[in-house]
Amino acid sequence: MTPAAGAVVSWWPAVAVALPLAGVAVSAAFGWTERRRDGLLAALAFGALVVALGLGAAVLAGRTPEVRLLHMTSQLWMLLRVDAVGALYGATVAGLGLLALVYAFGYVRPGPRRARFFAFFMACLACTLGVAYAGNLLTFLVFYEAFSVLTYALVIHEQTPAAVAAGTKYIAYILVGGSLVLAGVLLTFFLAGDLSFVGGGFLPADAAPGQLLVAFWCFVAGFGVKAALVPLHGWVPDAHPAAPAPFSALLSGVMVAAGAFGIMRVVFDVFGVALFGSLGVAPWLTALAALTVLVGAALALGQADVKRRLAYSTISQMGYLTLAVSLAGSGVMAGGLVHLVHHAFMKGTLFFCAGLWIHVAGARRLAELRGVGARMPLTTAAFTLAALGMIGVPPLSGFVSKWWLGIGMLEIGQGLALAVLLAGALLAAAYLLPVVYAAYFAPPEGRAPAADRAAADGRAAAGPPAWGGAREAPWTMLGPTLVAAALTLVFGLGSHLRGFPLAFAERAARAWFGGG
Amino acid sequence: MDVVDARPILAPFVSFLCAGLVFAFGRSIFWRRFFTFLAAFIKMGLVFSMLPGTLRGVVYVYEFVEFTPGIGIGFRADAYGMFFALVSSTLWLFTTIYAIGYMQGDRDRVRFFGFFALCVSTTVGVAFAENLLTFFLFYETLTICTYPLVVHAETREALRAGRIYLTYTLIGGGFALIGAVMVSATAGTLTLAQPGILTDDVGVVTLAIIFVCLTIGFGVKAGIMPLHGWLPIAMVAPTPVSALLHAVAVVKVGAFGVTRVIYNVFGAELLGELGFTVPLGLLAGFTIVASSTIALTQDHLKRRLAYSTISQLSYILLGAALLTPLAATAAIVHVANQAFAKITMFFVVGAIARTTGKKYVSEIDGIAARMPISMAAFTIAALSFVGVPLTAGFITKWYLALGALQADAWWFVLVLIVSALLNAGYFFPIVHRAYFRPAKEPWPPFEEGRRFETAKTLLFPIVICAAYVLLLGVTAEVPGMPFSIAQVAVESFFAGGGVAP
Repeated sequence: MTPAAGAVVSWWPAVAVALPLAGVAVSAAFGWTERRRDGLLAALAFGALVVALGLGAAVLAGRTPEVRLLHMTSQLWMLLRVDAVGALYGATVAGLGLLALVYAFGYVRPGPRRARFFAFFMACLACTLGVAYAGNLLTFLVFYEAFSVLTYALVIHEQTPAAVAAGTKYIAYILVGGSLVLAGVLLTFFLAGDLSFVGGGFLPADAAPGQLLVAFWCFVAGFGVKAALVPLHGWVPDAHPAAPAPFSALLSGVMVAAGAFGIMRVVFDVFGVALFGSLGVAPWLTALAALTVLVGAALALGQADVKRRLAYSTISQMGYLTLAVSLAGSGVMAGGLVHLVHHAFMKGTLFFCAGLWIHVAGARRLAELRGVGARMPLTTAAFTLAALGMIGVPPLSGFVSKWWLGIGMLEIGQGLALAVLLAGALLAAAYLLPVVYAAYFAPPEGRAPAADRAAADGRAAAGPPAWGGAREAPWTMLGPTLVAAALTLVFGLGSHLRGFPLAFAERAARAWFGGG
Repeated sequence: MDVVDARPILAPFVSFLCAGLVFAFGRSIFWRRFFTFLAAFIKMGLVFSMLPGTLRGVVYVYEFVEFTPGIGIGFRADAYGMFFALVSSTLWLFTTIYAIGYMQGDRDRVRFFGFFALCVSTTVGVAFAENLLTFFLFYETLTICTYPLVVHAETREALRAGRIYLTYTLIGGGFALIGAVMVSATAGTLTLAQPGILTDDVGVVTLAIIFVCLTIGFGVKAGIMPLHGWLPIAMVAPTPVSALLHAVAVVKVGAFGVTRVIYNVFGAELLGELGFTVPLGLLAGFTIVASSTIALTQDHLKRRLAYSTISQLSYILLGAALLTPLAATAAIVHVANQAFAKITMFFVVGAIARTTGKKYVSEIDGIAARMPISMAAFTIAALSFVGVPLTAGFITKWYLALGALQADAWWFVLVLIVSALLNAGYFFPIVHRAYFRPAKEPWPPFEEGRRFETAKTLLFPIVICAAYVLLLGVTAEVPGMPFSIAQVAVESFFAGGGVAP
């Protein structure tokens, strides 16, 4: 274990993971009122966010909090260590997790499955934080696998045949991917005798190139499943519409990003930039990422289901991250990291809005959105803001991250990558703006078909009236949506401020690329 | 360092004595339980009292009789034997508790508990056998003692299973005997105390015949394909028997035997030159994948577990066959890891059958609502078989895979990954059904005055074993845990060369 600069032993990373984990017990507690349970869960998630932000501040102050958790054998131990990129991702997870949790209080219908939803939700949140703060490959693998498997219960939450089918597809993809990651971890240990992340990588450059290549592709294929790299993306468009909206938001916003985060860790903290460059795999990874950006966006165009459309958008947007990694330039990587955060809150907003449309208006498909803009003005405004951000309209956060991505690409002379970036943005406009158009400008032709259906199966009786007098969703759901949308603006306007993602991203890029 | 001590012979003798007392006084429930528990505790005490010495490198030996120089009955508690004895005697205690609950009101309990004790006695005898003759003696006795337990129900099906079991194992025993005689003739000794007693100056053909005979002889009980036929059929036995004998004692004795043959009869160095272990490894690799694939199709819970056992045992054989220190460590540790996880599963399946009468995978939809603790334990064991980190199975998988890479057998890493996915494929649907499917019909309510989902004697061993599966995964290297003993054993196998860091 190489001690990092400024390493301090600190239990706070473990606390950040433990707080949401305690929520599992709270959810399972019998005999409590739902209000009391919800309040406690929110407090725990808020606590995790505070700790995550505190860890971020510590990292910016030049410290590296770390703690050894379990010592299994002389080769295997669990280590939490917060570096710049971990702190950034962790704060994003905690932030979006809190918003999604509050949103879910209103969204998830009361019933016996409600407690199960929150138990698994909190466990997933805890494990994703664990991924963020993992200090070695084993710890990463433990938390990564754990939240991947726990996600299954949330994907099939509705227990409709479609949801169960999506869940089966999901778990099959994820288990195969996880096995490949394990193979990569094994090979890494075999070659290096170590697993702890180090800024410049720790794999010996003189190892057999064949074995290094096998390890690399095992990692990329394994994490690529989660990161939705085309052609490993099959589970994404099925799992997202099946899951309840608050979890779709978390899944798309931070959990898919965990795959990209894993690729990042492997390339920069396991292989290191130099070895990665000399392996000659970068062009292939670039091609794969570019394909993901374009194919994901192109497939999004044809989707009638709004959540499905957003899921394809996630595939495309995650392609940017892998693209940034593969280009291995410090500027473009900083842009990629910033995009990870900005995308999380934008995509969170979009899924929150899609969920509100389903929950309040029963509108799942594009054609059912006619006139929803007039009925639910705040929700639709939030969607529009996030959609514009996703396309990259200044001064929203999406513009900022794409700007830095683009500048970074030009710095290292990757004009073709810039073309992919711009094409992705154009396609984003093409698949997101029709949703906005349908919501605002498509004339409502009498009562929408979905409202009839909702009224027919009696859902109109419960909750707000389905279409006729529908206004906005209750504040527990609308509030997080608006906060997430506001963050799109805040991250755009304040991007250069200390404590905002760019400061972390630059620090991370320095650790990976040295100097610059 | 060898120390003369009576404990290696006392440990098997205690259960032997217990069996006699149970047969004599067992009609009274009290005395039956009293003797069984007393023996279980004394035996555990005896074995555990040797543990500190073993960790220091002390080997306890006791020579019983010597017929002719070099040929006799002797006992020797080396690290590997200690490892096996610790696992068997610990699990005997838990299985006894479980069996008392499970067999309540069943027929012929005197015979059942008597032979049960005899089986454990012989298992520990095998563990502490100083030479192949002693080993063989106990090995064959175990075969015979298990028969009354397999046919316990005395139905046509049970009797048929018993016949098939005897056919397989007695023919296997014959092969083992031929092998042992040839070893004696070529090496002039039968001792298992050295890292290899054979040398290559007797000719490759002779050595090959010896290897094949001994591997077939012990491989039958280890269920290596195509010699596995008896194992799924023997699942007709009562669940405690399936649990202890078909997850621990009988099958592990086979795997233990093969390991002894590889490391103490031939020796890693000689086999490395001869290359006999390569086909054995391939066969084990095939068994791992093939029996897991068959397990996917089994609807009967215990049969699914049986095929899983066949697959898991070949992990041990393959780990031993790779001839690298890390793989050998994994093979030994897996004896414990597999035992605790599989016995947990058998216990749970038996508890489900006793509580609800359900025996098929397709019948247990929603059972987790009725038996939450049992299903949680089952889930832990399932995770361990898939090899999820923080469970026992991960430790095995990690060291096996590293050992395979050390031996340049990268294909085996692939086998491990495929096997893990297949394990997920046949265990996760059970977990899914139990937790996420609504019950087809209401489950029987708790019995009058019961606070727990099933009898306490059934539940207690389940919880302990499941907890130990986690402990094995998290604190593997704490001195006294199986991993540390395995390391001592491996050091003796690879004289001079310890476990790689």
